[in-house]
Amino acid sequence: MKRLLVGALSLVLGAVTLTAQSLEDLNIQIHGYATQGFLYSTQNNIFTTNSTDGSPAWTEAVLNVGAQPIPKLRVSVQARYFLLGNFGNAITLDFASADYKANDKFGVRFGKVKTPSGLFNEIQDIDPGYIWALLPQSLYPLTSRNSQLAHYGGVVYGTLNLGTNLGKLEYRGWGGERSYPSDDGVLLSSREAGIVFPNGFSGPIFGGALHWKTPVSGLMVGASDLKQPNWNNTQLTDTIPGYGTFSGIDNSHANNVPSFFARYEKKKVMVAGEDSRYASKGSLSVPGLFSETYRNDQRRWYAMASYKLSDKLTAGVYDSQYVDHQAVLGLARYSKDWAISGRYDFSQFLYAKAEQHIIDGTALGFDTDMNLGGLKPTSKLTILKIGVSF
Amino acid sequence: MKKLLYALLIAASASIFVVQAKAQVIVIANNSVKASEVSKNDLKDVFTGASTSLGGGSVVPILLKSGTANEEFLQAYIGKNDTAYRAGWRSLVFSGQATMPKSVDGDAAVVEFVAHNAGAIGYISKASPHEGVKVLTIK
Repeated sequence: MKRLLVGALSLVLGAVTLTAQSLEDLNIQIHGYATQGFLYSTQNNIFTTNSTDGSPAWTEAVLNVGAQPIPKLRVSVQARYFLLGNFGNAITLDFASADYKANDKFGVRFGKVKTPSGLFNEIQDIDPGYIWALLPQSLYPLTSRNSQLAHYGGVVYGTLNLGTNLGKLEYRGWGGERSYPSDDGVLLSSREAGIVFPNGFSGPIFGGALHWKTPVSGLMVGASDLKQPNWNNTQLTDTIPGYGTFSGIDNSHANNVPSFFARYEKKKVMVAGEDSRYASKGSLSVPGLFSETYRNDQRRWYAMASYKLSDKLTAGVYDSQYVDHQAVLGLARYSKDWAISGRYDFSQFLYAKAEQHIIDGTALGFDTDMNLGGLKPTSKLTILKIGVSF
Repeated sequence: MKKLLYALLIAASASIFVVQAKAQVIVIANNSVKASEVSKNDLKDVFTGASTSLGGGSVVPILLKSGTANEEFLQAYIGKNDTAYRAGWRSLVFSGQATMPKSVDGDAAVVEFVAHNAGAIGYISKASPHEGVKVLTIK
């Protein structure tokens, strides 16, 4: 019996060793991070949480598995548990892609891939990577992050060396399909008004981005444009209490989202800014009830700066602004958000963030169902967050 | 005037110290790496994942897990401390753009890896033995 146990144990250890060797050969890596946020706000509840009473309903956990079977080929998959107020509480796929990098000038990535538009889009979910507890909501709305983060399709990328006096030019081009699930944040106000898109929104997108790493050390300037052709015949239902539920369709016309951005990062200082515009129109009809056209013209920008006070402590500030020139006059037309932030790294694995926001306007993050007494013009929001990563 | 002279003397001493501190770390590469010298910018690109080539050939960086040579290298050539540096790599990993470079304990392990892996590039203390690898000159 003892021999049998020893034999079985040797067999298991041998298999484990063999597996470990195979994993080593494949260069398999497992990484992850988890964050827990606490929100407290005055006047209005934000992100569908009970933040005026103080809310811990912001939890995220990410697991990333990557392998590099040959030097030029990488495959990786990343899954996320996301909970924010009434959003999420589910596990979603951030990306699952294969990446072939022929050389520095050309690479291609395909599968579900992160969309490299703007300054932050493809890293907007990576909380350990930046100082802010909440990125500027004018361009990176938290409640639509999972939809805007990635698309099914591909990305081509590369870096061109412009010579010693001109710096380097990074390019990215992408195409594929983007999906907004029915519970996405952009659909929250219509959902609360009784109009539900049971299958969400989806359709083709494509775009490109250029990042010029200038000869000025630490300075990058760039631009991107994301194009969306017509998205037609999106199914919807309109529920009118006492009358019933009616079916209809939405047709969203072609639009594009240009962004211009710059970042300067040297030693202890980081300064960045981005300006973007999203103008769109479409029509929404429920036969027998109504047919109407809609327009929006969102002007969005932010400016931010941070300074490393010590090896472990970083402080920062930003101003984020949003206004929809097509929206009716009122609080829901705009948002002006001043944020002051601090991050403390206890070690390379553990950090904490504290952030104070002063928000004017209710266009971003606030809904009516969680603010039944009516939305107030201004709110102060305090965020505490702790995170671990490995 | 005397105070000014003292201040200049201290500043000059500090700059000499910085130069000496930088000189305590050397960059080594596998003999297959074509380049014999590397600019600070190219070195930074390789060790931050922005580039995977040097002198026309592919390179693979290897890191020290910790220690004085690690801190000196990161401060002198990357401009970040270890925590910020690894956070930068994690951003690449979590956005599907890169795989975290291998990290090993001690200069001997770096030399061992660099000597036996084509395209490998690493850094060690100048005083450590480094037979079987080439030393790159920093321009």
